Amino acid sequence: MVKVGEGNSRAATFQPHLGRLSPIEIYHARLGRLGKAWQRDLSSLSSGWEVLLGITGRDFTLIAASKAAMRGATILKASDDKTRQLNKHTLMAFMGEAGDTVQFAEYIQANAQLYSMRNETDLSPSALAHFVRGELASSLRSRKPYNVNLLLGGVDPITHKPSLYWLDYLATLAPLPYAAHGYAQYYCLSILDKHHHPDISLGQGIKLLTLCIDELKRRLPVDFKGMVVKAVTKDGIVDIEFDDDKVVKSA
Amino acid sequence: MADRYSFSLTTFSPSGKLVQIEYALNAVNQGVTALGIKATNGIVLATEKKSSSPLADPSSLSKISLITPNIGMVYSGMGPDYRVLVDKARKVSHTGYKRIYNEYPPTRILVQDVARVMQEATQSGGVRPYGVSLLIAGWDEGILPEEDEEKEAEEGAGGDEKKKPSGKTGGILKGGPMLYQVDPSGSYFPWKATAIGKSATTAKTFLEKRYTEGLELEDAVHIALLTLKETIEGEMNGETIEIGIVGPPADHLLGVEGVEGARGPRFRKLTPQEIEDYLTNL
Amino acid sequence: MVGKDCVAIACDLRLGLQALTVSNNFPKIFQYGDNVFLGLTGLATDLSTVSDLFRYKVNMYRLREERNIAPKTFANLVSSSLYEKRFGPYFVSPVVAGLDPKTSKPFICGFDSIGCIDFAADFIVSGTATDQLYGMCESLWEPNLAPEDLFETISQALMSAVDRDALSGWGAHVYIIEKDKVTKRLLKGRQD
Repeated sequence: MVKVGEGNSRAATFQPHLGRLSPIEIYHARLGRLGKAWQRDLSSLSSGWEVLLGITGRDFTLIAASKAAMRGATILKASDDKTRQLNKHTLMAFMGEAGDTVQFAEYIQANAQLYSMRNETDLSPSALAHFVRGELASSLRSRKPYNVNLLLGGVDPITHKPSLYWLDYLATLAPLPYAAHGYAQYYCLSILDKHHHPDISLGQGIKLLTLCIDELKRRLPVDFKGMVVKAVTKDGIVDIEFDDDKVVKSA
Repeated sequence: MADRYSFSLTTFSPSGKLVQIEYALNAVNQGVTALGIKATNGIVLATEKKSSSPLADPSSLSKISLITPNIGMVYSGMGPDYRVLVDKARKVSHTGYKRIYNEYPPTRILVQDVARVMQEATQSGGVRPYGVSLLIAGWDEGILPEEDEEKEAEEGAGGDEKKKPSGKTGGILKGGPMLYQVDPSGSYFPWKATAIGKSATTAKTFLEKRYTEGLELEDAVHIALLTLKETIEGEMNGETIEIGIVGPPADHLLGVEGVEGARGPRFRKLTPQEIEDYLTNL
Repeated sequence: MVGKDCVAIACDLRLGLQALTVSNNFPKIFQYGDNVFLGLTGLATDLSTVSDLFRYKVNMYRLREERNIAPKTFANLVSSSLYEKRFGPYFVSPVVAGLDPKTSKPFICGFDSIGCIDFAADFIVSGTATDQLYGMCESLWEPNLAPEDLFETISQALMSAVDRDALSGWGAHVYIIEKDKVTKRLLKGRQD
């Protein structure tokens, strides 16, 4: 497959400055390199404070992303949209290192659109999720890996089955009924465990999402400036009006 | 970037023929005759070893080569080209198979690998086709023809529905003796018995008359010598005839004894003395 | 785990980041032919990469050789493929289980992340609950278990082991491989 942006080549090898190490030590040093990466503490990254949420229901997939664009301790923008539409019924939300996120997401978006134009048919959410995983996986073992975590939500154009894929920067792919990224995971997954049901309607889904976001407002130590909420249905992607100004009483 | 401006020398003639390949086949058809016969329990490869001068040392000349412990090869055509192919066959059987699966390739896989090397020489830039035809003989682990028949009889008697792996991409590889011919074009054919080289036609007519189903290896060696006798130009003795056989595991060539599960090579070349013995019984 | 004319392979279903459970339906056993199975533990992204890689390699093998790959051959393929990445390995510890297509003899083995094969006649364990699994298998396993007994043994061993490991559990998949039959069972277990 010819891909958009292939000219932007990345060398395909690790090049750590390991100096004079024996082969065995090099092996352990490398284990450490990746090992450290996947044990990284979220709080040391400003991206840890971003929020991504996804919920599937009977005939929809809801995707929500926080509106704050942060750099260190500063909020640069309070109306950031961390989602990109890949095709008529697939939406991707992303968070992570500042430059990488939009660059990677738009690279994926461009390729999804290129496919749609060339073949006059859209890739299914599952196919896109595996394509994204492939790109992240080859990036992971490149000289400079992308640091992007993603949620990919969609509705199958033929079967109308909703789906949600959880992907992290290590290219871990997991299909899930509901998912979150960042610190939001620690607050929302337990709420979703308790209240989620695969048969919920869009209205119930939004209620459930509100429940999660209220909890985040209550417990997260930073103001994430509200959420962009979008729903994927068989008719396409619709923006959901979400009341960010609702005041939530602290615990 | 020398290969940038290096074109294939094998190009189509207006009539759709690749004359370079036909010339290569001409080289083969001027070569010394070599033949192969498949028996139920093995294969024989045989050829004449011609030396240009009485001063040459015949024991240093070898036209039949071992590729893997169970696969051997003989040629007709240009000797130097053959040695290159032997090297490549030995190499690819390791890099492309043994170093991956820790076992030697089945005969067909090796044949395909060698055939690919020969085909590439008909389409690559700056090279000429190999001027040899090969006979490749080997023994594959797998279901032997007779075991197969027994199994079918068993299943017929049993009558119960059993899951049977079958089809092109399913079943278990057929085992037993395998004999293939590979041509300069890269095409290959499986044979029961065949001959290549100068007197291939005569030899094949002779083999058609002498070949019978259910042949044993000993009979096959006998027929091979008779066929060679029809076409040979010089004298026939242990020095001028070369024979390679694929037969039962030759444990005496293992170099060790008492190692459990170790089995000797099935392919081996007959010594001049062994050939003399066969000749006296002719 | 080896039984009499049968083998079993089982895995839990948890996918997590340290203490946080991300998914409770993430199978780690993959089938490559009628009776060749690969179990993978380790870094989740490499599970996907490695299982996809072997799906590709085994499919190519099947097309080339017009036969299914044998467990022993597959084990050597796993070994050489992992060692190819000796200085930048996949972070996985695979387990292979199957029956030889010709002799129907049980075959199991395990690997380290760079492909060193560990052949075993009884059982192979891998993953975060390795210590617990060794203990359970060492005490429950006995030679020549019939398929049903083997299922009971491997299931009890796995469930008890993962219950004492905070990082695994959430149900299990168990495969019992016999000559002409493969049985896959889903175990529920503690959902916490």
